[in-house]
Amino acid sequence: MFIVDDLLVRPFVSLLNVVQAMAVEELYDTEAIRDDIKENRLLFEVGERSREEYEERRSNLEQQLDVAEQARENLQGKVEIKR
Amino acid sequence: MASTHLYTYGITDDADVEFEIDGVTETSRVYAVDHGSLAAIVSDSEIMEPDRSDENLRAHDDVLQELLYRDGGRTVVPMQFGMVFKNARALKGVLRGGRRAFRKALNDVEGRVELGLKILAEEGATVDRESIVATVEDRLGPVSVSEAENGLFSDRLVVNRSYLVERDERAAFDEAIDGIIDEYGEEFIVQYTGPWAPYSFVDIEIGAKQ
Repeated sequence: MFIVDDLLVRPFVSLLNVVQAMAVEELYDTEAIRDDIKENRLLFEVGERSREEYEERRSNLEQQLDVAEQARENLQGKVEIKR
Repeated sequence: MASTHLYTYGITDDADVEFEIDGVTETSRVYAVDHGSLAAIVSDSEIMEPDRSDENLRAHDDVLQELLYRDGGRTVVPMQFGMVFKNARALKGVLRGGRRAFRKALNDVEGRVELGLKILAEEGATVDRESIVATVEDRLGPVSVSEAENGLFSDRLVVNRSYLVERDERAAFDEAIDGIIDEYGEEFIVQYTGPWAPYSFVDIEIGAKQ
């Protein structure tokens, strides 16, 4: 009984996995957040962003990065994430 | 009592290093742990994973700068931020295991410094990147030993490169940079940084973090 259930459900699970993996990839794109952190730093260094603005953005981006890294870690093994 | 770990800044062949500075860790004494002809420059740390904050990254670099210039200067193979060893024994094990790679890296960067160039376009500007890159290569290639292309982490970045330059060639390199600023300084933001410890020109991976 369990085996039959499993077989029936499987195709939907894998499709769901792909959709979910794509969503995870976009939502928790740690590389993109890291790039934003570097860009923020550079724009501060060349004087395009005030210290206040730079620090506020940095703190937001670091929070985003923490959340993204945590989420990826939690989802590891459950959802396949390919870069 | 918590055991003390070793935060590592870089490798040199000069074991006669000891000074006080605000480094990455809570202690201010920076000193050498040597094995054979190699010395790792460290400070004591209570923790294995220091916070990757701006302040800490700057402190890591401050120590490397001090090493590069203090007491006549010395060649340093920089460690990436965050290398902490559990104790001197683990660190010496790495020095022993990696001695050939460290020795080669020291030779490669001896008497040389790293300098950075970034060229940044205005928001939304149309840029002939290829021609700018070619000009930069033409001007800086002859006055540098080696170059490394770094990531274009912003859409506005046109050039992001690091150059390994002989200390004796600094004046010529500066002059070449002045030429680039003259040419592109009006339309673009040109950021010239350094000298840095040669982060981009050593490539040693240390497997186990102990």
